[in-house]
Amino acid sequence: MDKASHLSVVIDLSPTQWHLCSQSSNPHPLPLQLFLSQLLAFFNSHIACKDENSLAVFGAFPGKSILLYSSTTIAAEEHSVNADANTYRPFKILDSTIMDSIRDQLEALELLEAEAPIGLVGAITKSLCYINRLTIPSSSTTRAGEQAVPLDPRILIFSVSPDQSSSYIPIMNSIFSAQKLKVTIDVCKIYGSDSVFLQQAAHLTGGSYLHLDRPDALLQYLTMSFLPPPGIRQLLSVPTQDKIDFRAACFCHKRIVDIGFVCSVCLSIFCNPVPVCSTCRTKFPIKTLQRLNASRPLPMSNATATSSVPRSPAVQDALRNGTPTQNNGSK
Amino acid sequence: MPPRRIGDADSDSDVSILDDFDGVGRGKGKGKGKAIDRRVKDKGKGKAKEQPYAWEAAYTRSWDTVQEDEAGSLQGAVQELIARGRRRRLLAPASAIRRTIIRHLILVIDLSSSMMDRDMRPTRFDLMLQYAREFIIEWFDQNPLGQIGIVGMRSGLGERIGEMTGNPQEVLKAISERHKLEPGGEPSLQNAIDMARSSMSHLPVHSSREITIIFGSLTTCDPGNIHDTLEDCIKDRIRISIVALAAEMKICRDLCDKTGGQFGVALNEGHFKDLLFELIPPPVARALARTGGAPANPAADLMIMGFPTRLPDTSPPGLCVCHSKLKSEGFLCPRCRAKVCDVPTDCDICGLMIVSSPHLARSYHHLFPVKAYQAVISLEDTPNPAPSCHGCSTAFREAAPAMANTSDGMSPLGRYRCPDCHNDFCTDCDVFVHDVVHCCPGCGK
Repeated sequence: MDKASHLSVVIDLSPTQWHLCSQSSNPHPLPLQLFLSQLLAFFNSHIACKDENSLAVFGAFPGKSILLYSSTTIAAEEHSVNADANTYRPFKILDSTIMDSIRDQLEALELLEAEAPIGLVGAITKSLCYINRLTIPSSSTTRAGEQAVPLDPRILIFSVSPDQSSSYIPIMNSIFSAQKLKVTIDVCKIYGSDSVFLQQAAHLTGGSYLHLDRPDALLQYLTMSFLPPPGIRQLLSVPTQDKIDFRAACFCHKRIVDIGFVCSVCLSIFCNPVPVCSTCRTKFPIKTLQRLNASRPLPMSNATATSSVPRSPAVQDALRNGTPTQNNGSK
Repeated sequence: MPPRRIGDADSDSDVSILDDFDGVGRGKGKGKGKAIDRRVKDKGKGKAKEQPYAWEAAYTRSWDTVQEDEAGSLQGAVQELIARGRRRRLLAPASAIRRTIIRHLILVIDLSSSMMDRDMRPTRFDLMLQYAREFIIEWFDQNPLGQIGIVGMRSGLGERIGEMTGNPQEVLKAISERHKLEPGGEPSLQNAIDMARSSMSHLPVHSSREITIIFGSLTTCDPGNIHDTLEDCIKDRIRISIVALAAEMKICRDLCDKTGGQFGVALNEGHFKDLLFELIPPPVARALARTGGAPANPAADLMIMGFPTRLPDTSPPGLCVCHSKLKSEGFLCPRCRAKVCDVPTDCDICGLMIVSSPHLARSYHHLFPVKAYQAVISLEDTPNPAPSCHGCSTAFREAAPAMANTSDGMSPLGRYRCPDCHNDFCTDCDVFVHDVVHCCPGCGK
């Protein structure tokens, strides 16, 4: 632990999903309150590991994303926090800032807004912008120039919501920019089934994806797997995933395919041969269509015949489970 | 007013930033040393034909353009110059949706004796090798489905240095051994182009065929009529781009103009890199139609592709079809279940093109670009201006600095607003969002 590390945390704060997660019908329920208290303990230990360690916390709320806490900007507001003889002051500031801003945001939510899709993409891109600013202190003032550049930036995502297929492209774009910035993305899936997109994010950036079997033992997972910075993790055996789904969702029905038809101009993926590309309006030659239709594997046409109407729940399920459309290549 | 600009407008190098900055002089000698250095470097070489050559233009007192602020510091002025240069890149329209994404490129490198010239440090040859490596890495990053081959021009012959392949490591290996590439003799444009053309003759119609030539010589030693070769290239729809290191030659200009490519003469080391790297983003497909009577939409086709399953390290080992090696990890072809070592590739058994979906997704940002942010000139019509950047939460400055220059789409307040979500972003985030992330933090799209 000789060099400082920067940690950006993205917390998925969807009220619906957290409500489901805290239901006592779950084998191991984890209410939001308990989650936050364990999380704050984790943040405090990150700050305590090294004096130069920095932290930024982003919240993904329905339809928006907000910076909840950052260790660089907080210095100005420090005086507003009441001193407490029993708490280390930086911990106190961190805890109260995060709790206050989460409470403010959740109270400000309207009933209708609570159902809006979660602003996960916004939160991830914001954390990338934040890390970008830290690593390139060019036009910001001299203060940023003299502070040491954090060498091990990483992003930790706490996810409870299922994938939204519409956010596939922006999430992939963020993954590639994280690769360029050499940012490791770790994912901690607390509730719900596996997220294909976040699995790919962790795999492509060299992070680890952890689906919690016992969400109530969160703090244990956090300190064992996510507290050490990537440099040290090479020496530890942090759980990694073995099977990654590299299938793509087609643009026309958002169905997951393993053999797809791809437009040569824009690389849009379709699940069956189409005469005109829906993305770039390119018309394809008739000859190719006939050839592809003739050579198309038969089970594929079965699949399209039985489920030709795009049914969104089924698609969501397929996305979530990462399973192929059952009768694709197996017959 | 000092006389205006003498460099070239397209370049991103810092030379043109200084040239373009048209402030009123109150200058002190502080910026002098650096500015003169740059002036000297680009003496002697001009670029585009409509612009005057550097030695024809009037003498410019470029240090006059740098102004001190109230405290006598140059930092503010320097930062504004840097910001201006970065922002200019973004002003180019990002509307073109049709781009050729499956690219095939032959990189022709000049290995004639003129490459040993030392006008670029350490030599033209060493600099070219270094930039070629960076070019290849960046090219594969932006064109993950593309393929590159390498041809050298030496002793009047075209020499095949690297076969066309989609694996960046193999391409880099081909030019890694410097001693095998030792320059010598005369270059031959015709031989090199013919060799490049013949190695691309088998390609399907929907892929692009490009030749990029790094040319350091002022002569070419050809066995036949090079204009015939040019006609053949036009017929085969091969696009030729040339980066010249010495000076403009008529035949080079013709080769590029008639095939729809780009031509540029490098002014200095930085400009050389800029010219080369301009060739990296996929070309707009429209440009194909312009080249001599080709039908409007020649390149479109529907391709069948397979998305493989990745086997983990812990799976039982099996023989791969590409090298016949016993391996645990690998990818399974979805059609014939053969095991291949690496993607993207064509399956050796059934011929299916195997790609992983991240490869395709890497190109999507060319299709759905982020709209250019608008510079906020004043805050008068905004009811509640955000106090800090929506991306990185840096506080905006309160008022415009006194000497602010609002031309060139620069915002005096350092605020750039997304036309869709109306959030304000700082200069750093503006550049970062458009160059790297390709996804607006406000809209999430």
